[in-house]
Amino acid sequence: MAWIVEDRLKQYQPTRSEPYLTAEIKSHIEQKYFPRYPRKQAALLPLFHTIMHTYGYIAPQAIDEAAGFLGISRAEVQDAVTFYEEFRLQPSGKYVVNVCRSISCELCGHQAVLDKMREVFGIEPGETTDDDKFTLFEVECLGACEQAPCALVNEDLHGCLNPQAFASQLQALPDHPATGH
Amino acid sequence: MAFAGPVLLKRIPDDPAKRKLINIDEYMATGGYESLRKAQAMTPEQIIQLVIDSNLRGRGGAGFPCGSKWKFLPKDLHPRYLAVNFDESEPGTFKDRYLTEYDPQVLLEGIAIAAFANRITTSYIYIRGEYHLQAKILEKALEEAYAKGIFGQKIPGTEIVHNCYVHRGAGAYICGEETGLLESLEGKRGWPRIKPPFPAIAGAFAKPTIINNVETLACLPYIIEYGADWFKSMGTASSAGPKLFGVSGLVHKPGVYEEELGIKMSTLIEKYAGGIKGGKYRAAIPGGVSMGVLGTDQYDAELDFDIGKKYNVLGLGTAGVIVMTDKTDLVVMLRNIVRFFAHESCGQCTPCREGTAWMHKMLNRIVAGYGKPRDFDLLMEVGLSMGSMPGTTICGLADGANWAVRTFLEKFPEDFKARLKSDHVQGVTLDAQAAAAV
Ligand SMILES: Cc1cc2nc3c(=O)[nH]c(=O)nc-3n(C[C@H](O)[C@H](O)[C@H](O)COP(=O)(O)O)c2cc1C
Ligand code: SF4
Ligand code: FES
Repeated sequence: MAWIVEDRLKQYQPTRSEPYLTAEIKSHIEQKYFPRYPRKQAALLPLFHTIMHTYGYIAPQAIDEAAGFLGISRAEVQDAVTFYEEFRLQPSGKYVVNVCRSISCELCGHQAVLDKMREVFGIEPGETTDDDKFTLFEVECLGACEQAPCALVNEDLHGCLNPQAFASQLQALPDHPATGH
Repeated sequence: MAFAGPVLLKRIPDDPAKRKLINIDEYMATGGYESLRKAQAMTPEQIIQLVIDSNLRGRGGAGFPCGSKWKFLPKDLHPRYLAVNFDESEPGTFKDRYLTEYDPQVLLEGIAIAAFANRITTSYIYIRGEYHLQAKILEKALEEAYAKGIFGQKIPGTEIVHNCYVHRGAGAYICGEETGLLESLEGKRGWPRIKPPFPAIAGAFAKPTIINNVETLACLPYIIEYGADWFKSMGTASSAGPKLFGVSGLVHKPGVYEEELGIKMSTLIEKYAGGIKGGKYRAAIPGGVSMGVLGTDQYDAELDFDIGKKYNVLGLGTAGVIVMTDKTDLVVMLRNIVRFFAHESCGQCTPCREGTAWMHKMLNRIVAGYGKPRDFDLLMEVGLSMGSMPGTTICGLADGANWAVRTFLEKFPEDFKARLKSDHVQGVTLDAQAAAAV
């Protein structure tokens, strides 16, 4: 959710010459998603999932390009994109560690997991390690409460966490992840 | 009441080591898609009547009768859509994930039956973004089902080609609210719509739309196969059928268990979930945090759609039971719940947007030791003021916050009052300290 309509695009970056919406991304969306919906706009979520997967974040320029591609205004794209937590407007580390903080996880020791992350990686939720390997977030219920405390690392769920073992597991991850964000 | 054994979970072994994804061939070898064939030999009206007779009520939280909902669709208006609600973001809820992770075809068969009965043109499975693995499982299951001609072909007896797609959300609880879901499906922010018009009249892309929960749809093949009387032989007069219960929190064996509606929470916890861990039972949430809390003397509450009236909670919700003990800090738990609502409020309605944020601040202050006696009444007042039932907000998210706060305060007042200091002693300085603390 994001009901605070802050200007998260303020650090508009210089436009780069090659487009974010490459011909490959466009044809993927055109072929796979446009036929599914009566309106192109409905392909907005699939499009931005693809952009996130490809670049790890959403550059302001990608929002501009998406508006043209989907045939809606930039404001409409921005309005939608900024609403969703998974669409991040800032680059993050190679591994995004989303630690669940909702009730079942708090009951089962989410705090210890979070403290361990702070201790081992020296970052607070929202921050990225200096080597760009990890970004830490606290998120709401991941729908895996029977495995509390749990965390989503990129696309993979890790459940029944033992803080120390989880930290070691993260440290042992290769520098380049196999799955996207 | 007679529950002979798992229905929805019959293909999923109890032993975690034996659980595996069931592909379409295995599904068909165990009777899968027989019900669809059977349904296609019936008329749509007969199927809808059967679903009405079965007394199947929605498993997504509100418990609305499924067949009656279908009947709201206007006649002969096409295209029409089915939106499958697989957003499952209510804390304490993971049943739809568990079912679909192992037996995705039962959901697809349910969708195909609902589509046949309602002459649906396109079905969208709206799955929350965090369910990466489950989205892939569903995509694969859909591929298999397309290959067998379950989707992408004319609905028998009509010119309507029915397609089914997975549509991934992107991290927003409010997209589980049915009209928030539709907005999100259309590529907009998930702001719930003001009703009427209801989705059955003008839903997705302004066309007639049915929204059903995953588990609701997964019941359909079994209702077709065994009939309405069989379905009603389980559960209670108002609450028919088998039900998936998620149990999490302080129990030895958290997980998804199937039983008939109306079983006692104590039975669920002791017989299935391995009993309470690390203390004595003190409180539990019956069905996701929106429903409020059950008190210490309500351990034996029957888990069915009457639970709201009988035990002073909002309702059965998603039947995701969250267990707390005598060692749990209930003030901290309420803070957790209220923070969730404050974070997930979409912000359209002032009582919800401001109220949840305000209550979160107050609870932070109370937990930090700077609560004042008047905070108790103030929390209650703010809580009670919000929701679609007092009529101050567009959707039910605010009712969830309302019921969480009111039931915690009503059932466990001493926990809160013990934390509240007198305003008079410290007066103004207290406010300054409190402000610094939160
Ligand atoms: C804030 C809010 C969140 C909701 N989240 C979900 C959800 O994640 N999954 C779900 O099936 N229903 C959810 N619902 C209920 C839906 O609005 C709707 O009633 C339900 O999907 C209808 O399906 P059913 O009749 O089969 O239960 C939510 C409702 C509200 C008010
Ligand atoms: S009640 Fe809350 S979540 Fe629902 S529409 Fe209003 S502000 Fe949004
Ligand atoms: S509360 Fe953490 S996964 Fe549900």
